[in-house]
Amino acid sequence: MSTLFEDLSLGMDLAVLELVADKPTTFLLKSGNNGWIEDLLPHCSSSEPFEIGDDLPYLEDFLIDAETVWSASAPGRIKSGLWTESLADRRDLNLEAIAIRQNDHQLLVIRNSSEEFAYRQRTLQSARELMIANDKLMEQHEYLHTRLLSILSKPKNAAEALAPLSSAIENAGFAVIILDHQRQPVIENSAVIELFEQYDNSYHKQPRPSEIILKLMRSQLPEYDRIFETSSSWSGELCWINPPHTLKWLKTAIYPVKSEPHGIKNWVIFISDISNIKHLLQRNEQLAMEDMLTQLPNRHAFWQTLEQRISQQRSFFLLYIDINEFRHLNEFYGHEEGDKLLVELGGRLQSALKKDDFIARVGGDEFAIILNDIESEPPCRQVTNRLLNLVEKPFISAQSNSYNVTLSIGAAGYPKDAQSVEELMKFVDLSAYNGRRNRQSTVQFYSHEMKEASRRRIQMEVELRHAILDKQFELHLQPILDLEDRRIIKAEALIRWNHPEHGMISPAEFIPVAEQSELIVALGRWVFEKTCSYSRQLQDNGTPLKISFNLSPVQIRDPELFSFIKSTIDKWQVDASLLELEITEGVLVDDYAKVLQLLNDIKALGITISVDDFGTGYSSLAYLKNLPLDHVKIDRSFVQDIVTDDNDKAIVLAVIAMAHNLNLSVIAEGVETNEQRDFLIDSQCNSAQGYLFSRPVPYEQLRSLL
Amino acid sequence: MIQKKICLLGASGVGKTSLIRQFVESIFSDKYLTTIGVKVDKKSVEINGQEVKLMLWDIEGNDRYHMFQEKYLRGASAYIIVVDQTRSPSLIEGIDIHTLLQQNHDCPTVLAINKSDLTENWHWGEKELNDYKSLFDLSYHTSAKTGDNVETMFSELAERLLQESVQ
Repeated sequence: MSTLFEDLSLGMDLAVLELVADKPTTFLLKSGNNGWIEDLLPHCSSSEPFEIGDDLPYLEDFLIDAETVWSASAPGRIKSGLWTESLADRRDLNLEAIAIRQNDHQLLVIRNSSEEFAYRQRTLQSARELMIANDKLMEQHEYLHTRLLSILSKPKNAAEALAPLSSAIENAGFAVIILDHQRQPVIENSAVIELFEQYDNSYHKQPRPSEIILKLMRSQLPEYDRIFETSSSWSGELCWINPPHTLKWLKTAIYPVKSEPHGIKNWVIFISDISNIKHLLQRNEQLAMEDMLTQLPNRHAFWQTLEQRISQQRSFFLLYIDINEFRHLNEFYGHEEGDKLLVELGGRLQSALKKDDFIARVGGDEFAIILNDIESEPPCRQVTNRLLNLVEKPFISAQSNSYNVTLSIGAAGYPKDAQSVEELMKFVDLSAYNGRRNRQSTVQFYSHEMKEASRRRIQMEVELRHAILDKQFELHLQPILDLEDRRIIKAEALIRWNHPEHGMISPAEFIPVAEQSELIVALGRWVFEKTCSYSRQLQDNGTPLKISFNLSPVQIRDPELFSFIKSTIDKWQVDASLLELEITEGVLVDDYAKVLQLLNDIKALGITISVDDFGTGYSSLAYLKNLPLDHVKIDRSFVQDIVTDDNDKAIVLAVIAMAHNLNLSVIAEGVETNEQRDFLIDSQCNSAQGYLFSRPVPYEQLRSLL
Repeated sequence: MIQKKICLLGASGVGKTSLIRQFVESIFSDKYLTTIGVKVDKKSVEINGQEVKLMLWDIEGNDRYHMFQEKYLRGASAYIIVVDQTRSPSLIEGIDIHTLLQQNHDCPTVLAINKSDLTENWHWGEKELNDYKSLFDLSYHTSAKTGDNVETMFSELAERLLQESVQ
């Protein structure tokens, strides 16, 4: 047995004690003659049993765990974890105990773990300092961000609106820049002036902080054009190098402040000098490459790896992953929950990858993955399918609510699609952007057609913004007829874009773009305002007619929607019962409780409500029964083949019967032939619209039809 | 003499060690030194003529580098969740630990909202904070730096523990 003790203590700074009684607190010292052992256990002896008691509470407590090992029949061991004992002379001992059962011996090894302790403390000290600094920074950013955005979105000019916050902006511990929609500075606080102060004795005019930061973004972000063209937000790190003395790491976040009619009212930029944090990071090489939150490699590590892979000239696929509607999730569940989601999602994505692959968190809600040695689309698609399967499992919030997320994945191959890091990044960023704000997960592989489509889409978004400013829209009205007496009983307001170069552009083309860019809110407001003005004119002319208008899911989420509707009705002095709101089924699945409240409020004003495109979405009887609805509009796709297709016939008959049971009237859309009309009349459909009766026409033309 | 084990728990950097040092040695250092593992300090207080020896378990902060281990609570008479009022996530972390422990431990609990000498820098409103406080038996706004409420917190907790022992 002496060999065991010698082995145990060989070259180690430890003491070996052996349990000598049934009571697991009485020991004999078997080995170890270092000074600290006597300091720690003054009564220890190799000949006289001694007790470990409550003067060493941590060790005493560990003996309870130790007993489970000692009383077992099989050999085993258990560790206590590190702890610190202060000796009488105030020296600290860093220790760890190990309980061992071996060859019928019950041993307690106490190890002086000063080296391990010092190592852990060195590593964790900088890691925790970083974490705390980061927490504080985020806290400040978040506070000011939330307040700034809420104040700026109010309809005042920025300088005036910001007056109540001016001291918070001025005294923020970080730089704040507020730009107007043309990216000209409105406010630059003292911290930003100080941050970019250049000690230059020459008489050159120094650039303003906003110029410097925009230049840095332009040169360091492949996403730059896309961010501004599509009014997106971005956060990440920039490096400002200004020889001979300046090298600063800047944690930067840019947010658009949206409003009508410009689309963009301001840009808010927050910048914190994180050079100190970077310096701390350098003390720990691993942390310098790690994202603080998810512990995945960060953007910096990602760029390095991507460059390395390209220099090796091995084929790979690059995936860029964006969480759809992350901002809404963040707003709905809170930022802490958003952080938890990022950590869990990062873990799930990582679990689907091979050891050789590489994943990093490259932006707020963006991840990038390098799939090695994949040359073509099919194997890459296998991986993306795996990733999407993993994400389908619901996420659980702290309040035990389960929710789902969907992803937009952009994919591009090297060297097949692009040969440089910047090009690749641009492509995958664009691919992912194309799928953004979808309700479904999407995977977009880079292609020339996609690039062209995406260019056209972004171009259309830019033109839409101009169109709103230049008032290029027209509101046409399509009559809705009572099928019994053929009278015009209503008209649906439909927006038309009269482009100065391309002529009339179909709503089918520009509405989806407007919805994705949230320009739909501005468009929707214009439509409603115009609808009210027409309603007023019809009333004044003695030919009052109900006009129905459409709201998309994005507009429904606009918190100002109800007050806008109410104030516009007041402004135009319109009889609200002459207005009808059309919503699609998609609106209902979004947030049922919220929508129900909104619809009740709208109904209370006197506005009637219809469900548009019925039959194409997710509607169920339960929805219809509980909502304050008046009409159901059967989608044109069912009406189209109503005369020839038995299925469509059956569906339309069922919808009419169901709606009538619920006391809802039925409107058929897209009626183009007499046969369709006759079938609908026979089936007791209440009213209809379509080219058979009239196309959507300008206001004056509608008046002549009345 | 009555002996009571009290555990101090919470996110890293909230000031657990500093609160104990202030209470036991009346010392405060601005320099943050992270705790590794566990350190147990002792201090006796006199409550109504009776001596109570407090065994204060200072436990390494809870974060991604160190997961909290429930075994540290074994035999504890009370625990104090320490949070830092300049960092919101520290309160979330503290409440998470508290929620976990409530399932298996039925001992007095204290919420110490520390660093009260610094400007409050979190986004919790008064009502939210009161809701959180109501989850604990006692709560204090403490400053390990100025000593504000530190002695009071430990003494009142000791008094409560003493009362419970008598009952």
